[in-house]
Amino acid sequence: MAKEKTDRKEDFYLKKVYKRKLSGSLEFTTAKLSYQVSFVLAVVLAWLTFTGETVSPVMAAVTGVYAFEGVIQLLIAQRIRKEVIQSDQGITDGTRKLGILLLPFVVTGNFFIFIAGAMLVKKEKNLEYQLAIYSLLVTIFVIIISSLNLFKEYVVSTFFIGLGLYGLYAVLNFIIVLAVNKYTFGKKPDKKFMPFAVICLFGIGLGNVFAFMLGLIAIGKYRNKNEEVSVEWIDVIKRLFRNYTAVIGMFLVVFFITISIGSNLTFEYSVAVENNFMTRLAEPSLAYPFGCDDYGRCVFTRIVFGASISLIIGIISTIVPIIFGGILGAVSGYYGGKRDNAIMRVMDILNAVPSILLAIAIIAAFGVSTVNLILALSVSSIPAYARTVRAQVLGISNQEFVEAAKACGAKNGTIIFKHIIPNSLAPIIVQATMGIGSAVLSTSSLSYLGIGVEPHIPEWGNVLKAGSTFLETNPYIAIYPGLAIIIIVLAFNFFGDGLRDALDPKLK
Amino acid sequence: MNKKKMSSTFARMYRNSQYRICLWILGFFTMLVTFFTYKSKKGKDQFAKILADLKAEYERQGLKEQFYKEALRQVQKKNEYFKKKVSESEEKKQAEAIAEKNLLQYSRDKAKERGEMSNVSEITMASCYEDLLANPAFLAVSVILSLPMYILMFLYVRPIAKYVTERLFLMIFVLFGVTWLVFTILYIAPMDPATNILGPTATQEQIDSFNKVYGLDQPYLTQLFTTFKSLITFDLGNSYQGNENVIVALMSKFPVTLMVTFWSMLVALIISIPAGIISAIKPYSTFDYLAMFIALLGLSIPNFWLGLMLILQFSIELGWLPATFQPGNAVSFIIPAIVIGTGMSASIARMTRSSMLEVKNSDYILTARSKGLMEKKVVLKHILGNAMIPIITMVGMSFSNLMGGAAVTEKVSGINGIGSYIVDKQFIPDIPVVLAGVVYISFIVSLMNLMIDILYALIDPRIKSKMKNY
Repeated sequence: MAKEKTDRKEDFYLKKVYKRKLSGSLEFTTAKLSYQVSFVLAVVLAWLTFTGETVSPVMAAVTGVYAFEGVIQLLIAQRIRKEVIQSDQGITDGTRKLGILLLPFVVTGNFFIFIAGAMLVKKEKNLEYQLAIYSLLVTIFVIIISSLNLFKEYVVSTFFIGLGLYGLYAVLNFIIVLAVNKYTFGKKPDKKFMPFAVICLFGIGLGNVFAFMLGLIAIGKYRNKNEEVSVEWIDVIKRLFRNYTAVIGMFLVVFFITISIGSNLTFEYSVAVENNFMTRLAEPSLAYPFGCDDYGRCVFTRIVFGASISLIIGIISTIVPIIFGGILGAVSGYYGGKRDNAIMRVMDILNAVPSILLAIAIIAAFGVSTVNLILALSVSSIPAYARTVRAQVLGISNQEFVEAAKACGAKNGTIIFKHIIPNSLAPIIVQATMGIGSAVLSTSSLSYLGIGVEPHIPEWGNVLKAGSTFLETNPYIAIYPGLAIIIIVLAFNFFGDGLRDALDPKLK
Repeated sequence: MNKKKMSSTFARMYRNSQYRICLWILGFFTMLVTFFTYKSKKGKDQFAKILADLKAEYERQGLKEQFYKEALRQVQKKNEYFKKKVSESEEKKQAEAIAEKNLLQYSRDKAKERGEMSNVSEITMASCYEDLLANPAFLAVSVILSLPMYILMFLYVRPIAKYVTERLFLMIFVLFGVTWLVFTILYIAPMDPATNILGPTATQEQIDSFNKVYGLDQPYLTQLFTTFKSLITFDLGNSYQGNENVIVALMSKFPVTLMVTFWSMLVALIISIPAGIISAIKPYSTFDYLAMFIALLGLSIPNFWLGLMLILQFSIELGWLPATFQPGNAVSFIIPAIVIGTGMSASIARMTRSSMLEVKNSDYILTARSKGLMEKKVVLKHILGNAMIPIITMVGMSFSNLMGGAAVTEKVSGINGIGSYIVDKQFIPDIPVVLAGVVYISFIVSLMNLMIDILYALIDPRIKSKMKNY
């Protein structure tokens, strides 16, 4: 009996060692998530395909492809697992070559498999390499989504310009990946990488935040004079990239930003807003991937255009309360006394009304429009930010360095803006990231009630509202915008969770 | 309460300026009598005599000169430092005042010392009150005429009751603030209820008479005053549309909202607390990852979409549950309860996990384990018990949000609750309904926050002892 117990113990510890080894290997984590997601998607697609009355051949083929991807990925993952556990050298070169096999599957829209492949191919992966890969992935994804328009009867006149631009950037991006491999693996990026870094910076024009970050990091590292000390904000990003789910969230956010910029060139706006009774309530097909609503508007195009609206509303209605709440909180936390009391009593009043209700009251008063919606959402989230900032400022203004600044004769404004605010930013950044997600959620909820964005604008809540009337006959009109909302909010939540960990001073 | 305690309570309350005002308002008669007694006695008692004697003696000793010199030097130095140009006579005047004040303070301290020896104390409002209480006739009349003051004193000596009273008092201000805020928003709004109700064909006369009937033609302050008055009398008027009494209408929606809240809370707690506990005990396990992923998903799913999907699956395709809410049919509560419950359980489960993880590595948990406690007891009593405060805050916040009506879910499931009532009426905008609804909900929210704070004291002995010294 006793011996059995010790046996089990040994096994138990061995398992723990394996687990630690495996979770430390980026190749295995990405591969594992990749096959899991592929299988789940395959099962869901199969269920959708074969429970319907007619089996569409396209859907069946897609299901098959996903199942195939899952199987290949599973086999490779098993091989990685074996090699990681058994040998100290880690993954062999032969297995790494298999990674190239995985890359082309990105065409099917499965980005997990692409990431797994890219992580497997290269042995040493620094931050720049990962950023370059994600930047390439975003560009490829935008091209894929945009090319779905080719199945439509006509495309917008700027379509080929847009597609060409993104194609060009994808090629450039691929060259950048190669350049990253060659020049950035030293302590400091090579001088020859600088032109590429500048190209990366231009990526922001297309919405590619990853490329922009890559450029910034390369330049930041290059300009850093003391090689022994690392730059702090680069460290934060490095810690962020250790958390795979956070990176996935970030990827989705960047993708939504890129597509909302790219859609202006490659998507036809009239398909999203103008009535077309030829396609009234059309079933999902290649031309209309998510079907058409009761006015014959393409739901897919509407969702793509809705992304930019949701993002704009979400971001503005987060920045505005940060500015106002931040100032109020900083003043009341720093000065204290009567000013603190007065501001906090006003915040109490605002806080006593649930935010969605205050938003409803404001919209009731000023009428339904996007500007009023932003106003309503901003006002109702001011107290939350004011509170966070106040708590932070209260904690920081008692510390020695603030006292030192005061002793040096710094003005109050200088102390607040130069010493206190930079030190209290971390929790506010996290709260803001999550706040954008919940603002998107509130926007769509209010639009669904008919008191958000004007009904003719393709905001996701509006798209969903149109679909809810046809729930019985055409459920897909309501399902897909809902999924889009979930994905974007989930992405912001993942990203925010990751940021919280990355910014946590305890984990440095 | 004996008389000694009463007078000491009086003294404590009188020291606090806010309570002093309350004493004057609530116990005007008693305060008046006490005040006149104090005025008549002041300066004629033993203590005053000692004080006067001492002061005269010190002045004779030349203490005042000493104080004056010191004060003059201080004033001069101060003006020199701040580079202020002040005339000499002004400086002397200032120094004189300071010296006089210091002398009085000094002799008062000495007088107190001497008075203690011969059992003489200074006459104050409290000591007058104590003397008066010895008179039973005064006591009886005072209790009858200023009962509110005695109730306040009764509450004052009980820390928790005092805390609750103060919070309730503040709540009144918050409610007035909310009323003012919402009223002002609705007042400056460009929306015109008259045209919305009477239709586009209404003549100017009709619109004017509508505005006159509801007092909308009055100036801002008059309307605001009327609103405050109606808030005090609990009569918030009739709605523009349907002309029903707003309070009655809100109260009739209340039971439905309460039922929905209750069932969703139940669903949320059943899902979230066990999930949070298991995740916290076995962090970074498969269950933990899965549960936390689902929780994050629950936070990200729009309520109305989940409601629609459940209706699609269980009402339309399977036909198990009714798609819309029917009063009196318990089965029709299931979909809304699940929709709201899952959304809430996500945040509660995350909170449970994180706060339990924080407690888990404390030294007292190690102590509990090392003294051989059962694992179940360690987890449920020590870890969960100490992690309870944030969880309760979260639950309370969700609860008060729900009592305000989950407007969106109510709309999807066709529940005729408070949230959907307000949403329906805001299109006009029906000012009395929106106003009353918001005030009602903020009342509930404030009350819930108060209850949570009291609940803290019941759960956490540390907070309880802090409150005892309140």
